[in-house]
Amino acid sequence: MANYFDIDDILAEEELVSVVFQKAVNGVGIDPSSETDSVEPGSKVELPFWLAHELHLRQIATVKLPPSFNQKTRLELGADAACVDLRSRCPYFYEFGCKIAPLVGDRDMGSFLLSAFKNRYQEVLAKAHTAAFAAASKFLNLLTKEETNLYEAAQSSMAAFKKWRIGGPRFQRAAVLGRKRKPTA
Amino acid sequence: MYGRKGCQLVKEIASGEKEQLTPFNSDLFDQVIAECSQHYVELQALIRNMQEKGLDVQTSKNEDHFGALIHHLSLVRNKRCLTSYMYNRAEILRNLIWKVGPVLPQEILEKLSHFEKEYFKKHSASLKSYMSRIDLDLAVDMVPPKDPYIQVRVLDDIGEGIVLSDEKSVNFARHSMHLLKRTDAEQFIARGLMEELTG
Repeated sequence: MANYFDIDDILAEEELVSVVFQKAVNGVGIDPSSETDSVEPGSKVELPFWLAHELHLRQIATVKLPPSFNQKTRLELGADAACVDLRSRCPYFYEFGCKIAPLVGDRDMGSFLLSAFKNRYQEVLAKAHTAAFAAASKFLNLLTKEETNLYEAAQSSMAAFKKWRIGGPRFQRAAVLGRKRKPTA
Repeated sequence: MYGRKGCQLVKEIASGEKEQLTPFNSDLFDQVIAECSQHYVELQALIRNMQEKGLDVQTSKNEDHFGALIHHLSLVRNKRCLTSYMYNRAEILRNLIWKVGPVLPQEILEKLSHFEKEYFKKHSASLKSYMSRIDLDLAVDMVPPKDPYIQVRVLDDIGEGIVLSDEKSVNFARHSMHLLKRTDAEQFIARGLMEELTG
């Protein structure tokens, strides 16, 4: 299990999955189509993963494979992985895929995620070192959160390398203070 | 949906720039806590419901039990979001001491809650007492300097009569240049009040 305080892990578990309830549940307002505060067996509800996961383990509800991992996405990723907009599908595509795979019993999920990542990784690294800032923003919109982290890591290490080679002042204004403003004269 | 507000709170940290503090969102924070109390009330009501029907709360698995379970899970989730919000902010705060020094500029102070200011004060006090006990300033630059003195330019009016480590008092007027001990200059540069002149 990831770190309890890990922000990315918390956000990845907020992704919605659709579940089908197997048991009746009383006193909860999670089914928007229901008029009373209860859920009937057989009703389909979209729940965040953290709730769906626990309900699935206790056999109160069954989880269905989210559309971000359906056959269409797999075909698109197989055709040209680097051009697929994964962010709009699921900003934590890989993390979430790993979490959901055991619940839906998908044996191909692991190899599918790995091949998608491998094909896109190359593009991410190449673009991080070469793309100009204006062109990069369009490309950045396609990346998942994990890939964005990699992209930023690649850029910052390149910047650190250049700084080391050229040299410069050792001390600088702390980055936490944000953008530097010109002191008003 | 349950837990949505807690997640928004966490998202605030994620959407900000790395290592940057966002203003403490006490409004949303209180809303999440209110949601927790609501879950607790509903959970209690469901348990009471079961007891009235004469069921064993521990073993019987009926629809009230599952409802109580969902409220319980939502409580646990909210707790994780709240603690994570506090934890990650505290981590940024602790880093600030090393990067900016024990005096925080006004624009950062405004973003802190009352408890965070208190925490920062106590944390820097304990660090200070530790450093004075081992008689070493751990916050200075890790790379040994070639020259113990550096040339700096003052970027902002810092004020007169600042006493440096050699017990001389200096007037740091804006745009004036000084040759200072590195260790003296470091904290001013970190706070953006001076810049190092090279070459």
